[in-house]
Amino acid sequence: MAISVLITGGTGFVGAFIVDAALSQHPEWAITVLDLRLPETPKSNVAYETGDVTDLTLVTAIVDRLKPKVVVHTAGLVPELAGRYGRKLRNRVWGVNVNGTQNMLTAAKAVGVEAFVWTGSCCAVTDDMRYQYPNVDETWPTSTTSLIYGESKAAAEALVLAANDSSMATCSLRPSVLFGPGDHQLVPSIHHCIVKGETPFIIGSGDNLWDVTYVGNVADSHILAVENLLSKEKTAAGEAIFISNEQPITFRDFCLVVWKEFGHFPPFEVHIPVAIAALTGLIAEWVTWITGSPITLSRGSVLDAVGIRYCSGEKARMLLGYKPRVGIEEGIRISCKEYAQRLKANNASQSKT
Amino acid sequence: MPTASDVLYYAIHFNELRNIIQWQTWHDPVHNRNPEKEAPSLQICFDFLDKTSRSFSSVIKELHPELLVPIALFYLILRGLDTIEDDMTISLKEKDPLLRQFYQNTEKEGWNYNGNGPNEKDRELLVQFQNVTEEFRKIKPVYRDIIKDVTEKMGNGMADFCANAEHNINGVDTIDDYDLYCHYVAGLVGNGLTRLFVESGLANPMLLQRPQLQESMGLFLQKTNIIRDVKEDHDDKRSFWPKEIWSKHVDNFEDLFEPQNKEAALNCSSEMVLNSLAHADQCLFYLAGLKEQSVFNFAAIPQSMAIATLELVFRNPNIFKRNVKITKGEACRIMMKSTQNLQLVCEIFRQFTRKIHKKNTPRDPNFLKISIACGKIEQFIESIYPSQDPKKIIEAQGAAPPDPTPASEAEAKNKAMAEEAKWDTIYLLAAVMGTLFILSCLMIGTAYLFGARFDVALDQLSKGKLSKPSGDEAQSIIQDYDHGEL
Repeated sequence: MAISVLITGGTGFVGAFIVDAALSQHPEWAITVLDLRLPETPKSNVAYETGDVTDLTLVTAIVDRLKPKVVVHTAGLVPELAGRYGRKLRNRVWGVNVNGTQNMLTAAKAVGVEAFVWTGSCCAVTDDMRYQYPNVDETWPTSTTSLIYGESKAAAEALVLAANDSSMATCSLRPSVLFGPGDHQLVPSIHHCIVKGETPFIIGSGDNLWDVTYVGNVADSHILAVENLLSKEKTAAGEAIFISNEQPITFRDFCLVVWKEFGHFPPFEVHIPVAIAALTGLIAEWVTWITGSPITLSRGSVLDAVGIRYCSGEKARMLLGYKPRVGIEEGIRISCKEYAQRLKANNASQSKT
Repeated sequence: MPTASDVLYYAIHFNELRNIIQWQTWHDPVHNRNPEKEAPSLQICFDFLDKTSRSFSSVIKELHPELLVPIALFYLILRGLDTIEDDMTISLKEKDPLLRQFYQNTEKEGWNYNGNGPNEKDRELLVQFQNVTEEFRKIKPVYRDIIKDVTEKMGNGMADFCANAEHNINGVDTIDDYDLYCHYVAGLVGNGLTRLFVESGLANPMLLQRPQLQESMGLFLQKTNIIRDVKEDHDDKRSFWPKEIWSKHVDNFEDLFEPQNKEAALNCSSEMVLNSLAHADQCLFYLAGLKEQSVFNFAAIPQSMAIATLELVFRNPNIFKRNVKITKGEACRIMMKSTQNLQLVCEIFRQFTRKIHKKNTPRDPNFLKISIACGKIEQFIESIYPSQDPKKIIEAQGAAPPDPTPASEAEAKNKAMAEEAKWDTIYLLAAVMGTLFILSCLMIGTAYLFGARFDVALDQLSKGKLSKPSGDEAQSIIQDYDHGEL
């Protein structure tokens, strides 16, 4: 009999890649996607359910009807950059990421799901701006007081790992910053710097290393995690595991390569000392606070820009046998090509109207 | 004697001069050789060591007594082999068997060779080689076997390359050939030395189980020298840069030296640096396996020099014009750091890796690959010497587990806190502004009391005169104001 797999958030950025990876690597899985809405082009070999994970009654009804053997819970809310450092969106983020996860766990446990893989985030650890995170491993603590996103991921992860028992094996994957085709946050905002003329400015020394993960590799790690939790040994059960491309580079270099893909090279370079940048961020926060317009620059974004954040790939390698299939270089090329097409399509549709 | 330009250089780079003085005053060799007790032939060997090696002789002479003589002889034997390989005046027919059988001659009593051309710089070593063979027969058989084995392999490898007509005309072809060539001339040395270290009990035997590490030790040095010496080798009509790399950037190898191809040449040299950089983390890993201080120094100094040289040659157009090298002051600083512990050597590596990273430019086709290689070295250093301890952070946080409080309660708490913070900020702002206002009033008031003419100043400013008028000018302006109607 086919293994029934329910993937929440399966039409989103990461979710869609997980669905593709599952279809190509496990044609024997019967996949159902639960998301807020149907995708633009539904796949014929995937079943779709629409609904909000924050609605316990609905989620319970769907899970009860499907009785899946595996749940990949990837639906989550990542605040846009503007909302990342504030607390305005806290309720919404918490609702989806923590309450939504609790709902999925409750529903899954009730129908005897065997494997529950959850998409966590490195932010559960690294959003706490008091520390630097060079080569962090899973012995580092998650933080209860960081940014709204990191806090929600830490709290939800605690729920997921606590739910692990002999009947249902759970695990949390903590990918670092994601990029890839369909990304609406990272590559687009880096690309936007070209128009704004912001490319020459470097905050701090520019030496701080940083991790990114190509979305396709994250999808692979989910498939590996499902395979692990369905195996006899279940070595990943109850574990949180960092996932990255295992190629730490500086944030600046990542930007430079993206700009290069679009044919842009910064005409000159200016180093802005961290203290001045942080002060500017603080003033910007006051202006935002007084005028009420959304934050573009803040102390948080300055700390993000100068922070050291990269993880060790040891545990992912040991437990899951994970190795990033797509390197950063190829990943950036694919992402930029897709984003250039998206921009072109947007321009075309704008000029028509 | 220092030259005038040296004096000038160190007059400006005072820190480097300080390094030289410090190294010469404070460096205390771990072991000292004892020339009085040495046989005359051994003393001659050490004289040759000084003459044939600038960089290795001092570190060899400080080695642990157990390995001092074996490694000095190992060096001289390989130097002898190299002197035959290098000499273009020896015919291939004569050279081939000479290289392949050289290992047998190392033990022959009275063996020497005077077939080198008169200009070969180390020809004298082979002419008086009987001193080396004499001493070689005295060392422990286990050491002798290791040295002979490496000499045999190296001799065969060199002979293969010499017999390869393609190699003689076009130099090294593929990256694999390049690695193989470097294996023969340097990787094997790494292998021989590692076996000597382990045999003498001065290194961790685990090193022998990871052959990739010793290979990297040799290749990192050799490849870095090959990049640095590109001009010198080219002048000698030799080249070791693999065609597989340079052909991506220029059509003919000579083109690298044309000033109009500067960018292509630099990009080509970056790719060579990238190739070398890939060995760096394994060198650090290897050094972690050395227990005895003098052995550590012996192995670490050349590696630190290599990473510094790699930084020096990276995106440096001068390598195609002349011989570049690290200044003596810098060399002394590196030697001081490399003769203590692995952590300081790692610091040197991190420092030069960051310098390489700073010079890296996005217009270079290998920009991202170089950036990733630099990141890999930093990550490796961080993995062996973590800069932070997660346990301390857990303690500092009091091990508070994540608290999934219901959203509404927590939000109410947050709201109250935000409100409080808002008023705090308002009070703070008011206090700052108030202080500024009072200070300004005081300053302006004082100026007014002393007779400052704010009316004149404001009027002049509004006319767009922003610069300060000279004394006379100022007086006449004031006159105009006071007697405007007259």
